[in-house]
Amino acid sequence: MESWEYRPTTDFDKSPIEKLRTFPRQPDMLVYALRLVLHVLLRVWIRIYHRFRVKGREHLPKDRPFVMVANHSSHLDALSLMCALPLLKIQKTYPAAAKDYFFTSMPKIAFSAIAVNAMPFDRRENPRESLDLCRELLETAGHVLILFPEGTRTPDGTLGAFKPGIGFLTAGTNIPVVPCYLAGAYRAWPKGAWIPRPYKLELRIGEAMTFSTLANDKEAAKAVAEALRDAVQALS
Amino acid sequence: MFASPTIRIYLYIAAGILGFAGTAIAILKFGLRKNAEHAWHAFRGWLIMIPLVVGAILLGRVATIVFFGLIALVGFTEFARATGLYRDWFVTGWVYAGIAALTIVTLVSPPGVATEQGWYGMFMALPVYVVAGVLLMPILRDRTKGQLQVIALGTVGFIYIGWMFGHLAFLENGRNAAGHILFLLFAVPLTDVAAFTFGKMFGRHKMRPSISPNKTWEGSFSAFLVGMALPWIFRFSLQGFGTRELILAGLIVGIGSQLGDLSISVIKRDIGIKDMGTLIEGHGGVLDRIDSLVYVAPLFFHMTRFFVGLQ
Repeated sequence: MESWEYRPTTDFDKSPIEKLRTFPRQPDMLVYALRLVLHVLLRVWIRIYHRFRVKGREHLPKDRPFVMVANHSSHLDALSLMCALPLLKIQKTYPAAAKDYFFTSMPKIAFSAIAVNAMPFDRRENPRESLDLCRELLETAGHVLILFPEGTRTPDGTLGAFKPGIGFLTAGTNIPVVPCYLAGAYRAWPKGAWIPRPYKLELRIGEAMTFSTLANDKEAAKAVAEALRDAVQALS
Repeated sequence: MFASPTIRIYLYIAAGILGFAGTAIAILKFGLRKNAEHAWHAFRGWLIMIPLVVGAILLGRVATIVFFGLIALVGFTEFARATGLYRDWFVTGWVYAGIAALTIVTLVSPPGVATEQGWYGMFMALPVYVVAGVLLMPILRDRTKGQLQVIALGTVGFIYIGWMFGHLAFLENGRNAAGHILFLLFAVPLTDVAAFTFGKMFGRHKMRPSISPNKTWEGSFSAFLVGMALPWIFRFSLQGFGTRELILAGLIVGIGSQLGDLSISVIKRDIGIKDMGTLIEGHGGVLDRIDSLVYVAPLFFHMTRFFVGLQ
């Protein structure tokens, strides 16, 4: 009789925290279940505490993977954007989070990987490799990537310049990019504040943009970043 | 809760064993400068496990049942990840649901009337429903390729790790619940430790070289003797046990715990992995720690039910 073929997970020998740090993470139903429960609670909390509202949800593409880009002013941003998506979509939604900040200690890794489903983005050492990872993610049906092209939270509430990474990722491709603007997050939980305050949050979602006609070079990448920044600014 | 003399005695024993083992390892490691790294890591693992288990038992029946339910869930997760079954979300999800149902059935069954009334019948019948569901999955999806493997892994995963281990939690619904559960939680690991220690000291003849190269007949026989002696030593927690029942309990612990260990080793060797996981420092995965209990708990449960009665 032919012997069975077993294929253990690729992260089988890793410790639990290493499993969460590794990306792409292997599917784990316990993590999925925990994430689902946390997001149900988060949605209740954000609706009550922040009176969260979404405008323009109809602009989200339904038939293919896409990128959401938004202004970045607080730790509420990624979670708020996820709250705008259908609950069952969160397992396939990956906010890019700074590897040097969110993947440094055990509690941060656990929170980023389980609650946020974050993709560790190496913005300092190896941004190119991280962009390749983003590209791979967007090859799978149903995936959503959340990016904050400013690269860091705003120190004063204004919209900063967009880094060209988003341009390198999308110029010359058919990947739709959805500009979003989250209003109220800076007042609710600015950089340096310990806990979020009960200010109103509103997420405005703009029409999806594609940049298939552009070449994939430095100039085009800058142009894409600027066009997206303008689109986000227009929603503010 | 602390009023129960049985629990109190076990707490003293746990503190005594931990204190003794900790001192011995510290003397070896720091005093005699011997290489005791393996024992040190295993000891640290125990330092986390024992308070968790004791805490659950002290918190009462509901906490204990939920705790064992979670252990079964994590154990099955390790099994699914090791065998590759986790790629089949439907079967994996169904087995998770089965283990959750097992925990709920154990919880809603009224305590003190373990096997006469309540949900004991459903507890015993659950494998029928879960296996029926596992068999249904390929039919629903109109799949054939590799499905026997998926069905077999789902069935073994539920029956062995969910249901057989679930007997430990169901003991909570019987008479002298703490006595029976604590006896198993102490006697089974002590037998494991005896097999390991005596094997290291006197081991010459390999017992099952393909399955577990470090196990020897000498270690195994010593563990059997320790297993046979433990029910007499812990007799205070086995109310109603006569000579016959104590001998049977000894046989179940002395032989069963070693067979449980070897059974999981067969699975690990077939897959080609060393440990079932990495969750517990110095021990591997949860399944590596509970492998003997999974085998012993149901045998002990049914022996006790038949000869002593759980009412």
